Amino acid sequence: MSPDLAPGDKLLEGRVVLVTGGASGLGLGMATAMAAHGAAVVLACRRPETGEPAAVQLREAGHDVRCVRCDVASADDLRAAVEATVTAHGRLDCMIHNAIAPTLGPTRIQDVAQDHWDAMMATAIRATFEGARAAHPHLREAGGSMILMTSAAGMEGSASLPVYAMVKAAQRTLAKGLAAEWGADGIRVNCIAPVALTPAMERAYGENPVLHERLLERTPLGRIGDPLDDVGPVAVFLASEMARFITGQTLCVDGGGFLGL
Amino acid sequence: MADGTRTLLVGDGPLADGLHDGLVHRGHVVAQVVPVGADGGTDIGAGIDAGIGAGVSLIGPPDLVVHVPQVPAGPVALVDQTTQQWVEACEAPMAEAFAVARACRPHLSDGARLVWVLPTVAMGGAAGYVGSAAASEGIRALAKSAARQWGPDGLTTAVLAVAPELAFPPDTGAGARTSAATTLTGPALGGPGDAFGDIAPLLDLLADPAARFMTGATLVADGGVWMAP
Repeated sequence: MSPDLAPGDKLLEGRVVLVTGGASGLGLGMATAMAAHGAAVVLACRRPETGEPAAVQLREAGHDVRCVRCDVASADDLRAAVEATVTAHGRLDCMIHNAIAPTLGPTRIQDVAQDHWDAMMATAIRATFEGARAAHPHLREAGGSMILMTSAAGMEGSASLPVYAMVKAAQRTLAKGLAAEWGADGIRVNCIAPVALTPAMERAYGENPVLHERLLERTPLGRIGDPLDDVGPVAVFLASEMARFITGQTLCVDGGGFLGL
Repeated sequence: MADGTRTLLVGDGPLADGLHDGLVHRGHVVAQVVPVGADGGTDIGAGIDAGIGAGVSLIGPPDLVVHVPQVPAGPVALVDQTTQQWVEACEAPMAEAFAVARACRPHLSDGARLVWVLPTVAMGGAAGYVGSAAASEGIRALAKSAARQWGPDGLTTAVLAVAPELAFPPDTGAGARTSAATTLTGPALGGPGDAFGDIAPLLDLLADPAARFMTGATLVADGGVWMAP
């Protein structure tokens, strides 16, 4: 397919996308943007009671969206979500691994609890591995791509969220390694490092009242991003033919907040 | 030369052993600790405390802590790995690094430095070593976070990024293949260097009070392969 476009073209017509953590926040914003560009979207959600209403709302808007229950800490759930997607749509063109355990509040390295460590590893790191392994044959068949969500915290460290910074850094290099391994299969792997107003960000504001102000101070574009309107189009781009020669990269979608790349 | 610098070296294998010998040669008083949990455990708690405590009892509160995390024996494509292999390659080294940092922290006082010695694949990724490279980058983030948290207490951190040839088992040839995938021209200085003569002196430099205003940074010492920012 040529990446040449005419105004109004849908970049993901006929494509199938699976989004973990798709019930709200960044996951829902990206899923909505991709559905609006013609993709059939499967929201993989730990809690169907939140994922299903989101899917219903998108279907009512005319999009092809469904929800499957998936706790990304479970390899079985991830495999089932991938298989349910392929069974429903016959293919898988893009998998976005967005879900992650709650980051909790600011924590000293000395005070990190084992269960928090385990949850972060399971949802960010092992889930990327298990999801990648499950999706690989289908992405290879489709010539598709995988998108991982990372963060500036993974690139510059974090005084308040050291484990989050570790897993986000690891996911970024994981994407580079996978890009190297899977390039010969025609699969691209990239990262998005967003800053957007999500429920998790709103909770972080509650825990750290100066966070919003600090973020704005370091953001040249002077505002916090929107999951649908700011981050969604970048996910559409990376999943589309427009990005067919881009792999192993991180796109910072943060209004210029992190300028270290 | 930092005669008498008390150095706690955590890790084993040719790279750690070469650093041990190089640091002793340069006048460091070194206690080498082989971490419990190096068999693939993911405990970030007390599992490593005993080893760190034993090392500290030998040399006193360390001026320098050097951690050389484990690396897998050979390359395995991600899709061919079992979950256990993945955990051992990726999650266990990160847990070990985190545990080392936590266990050492009570023994570190103003002016002390914590250094991780990692292969440059942390920055660039590596086919066949996806999990190990990802772990290294996670540890690099830990060095940055620890620098931010512990800087007000006068503690500093750093990463010394070395050629994959030094970090990966030498008999597999994996390091050379990984380096070759990184550069079109080979190392500017002609080779990957060696732990004793090329890397240990840089640890000595990092332990020197003259380096006290550098923290959270990565010093690349691979003979001039990785030159990206």
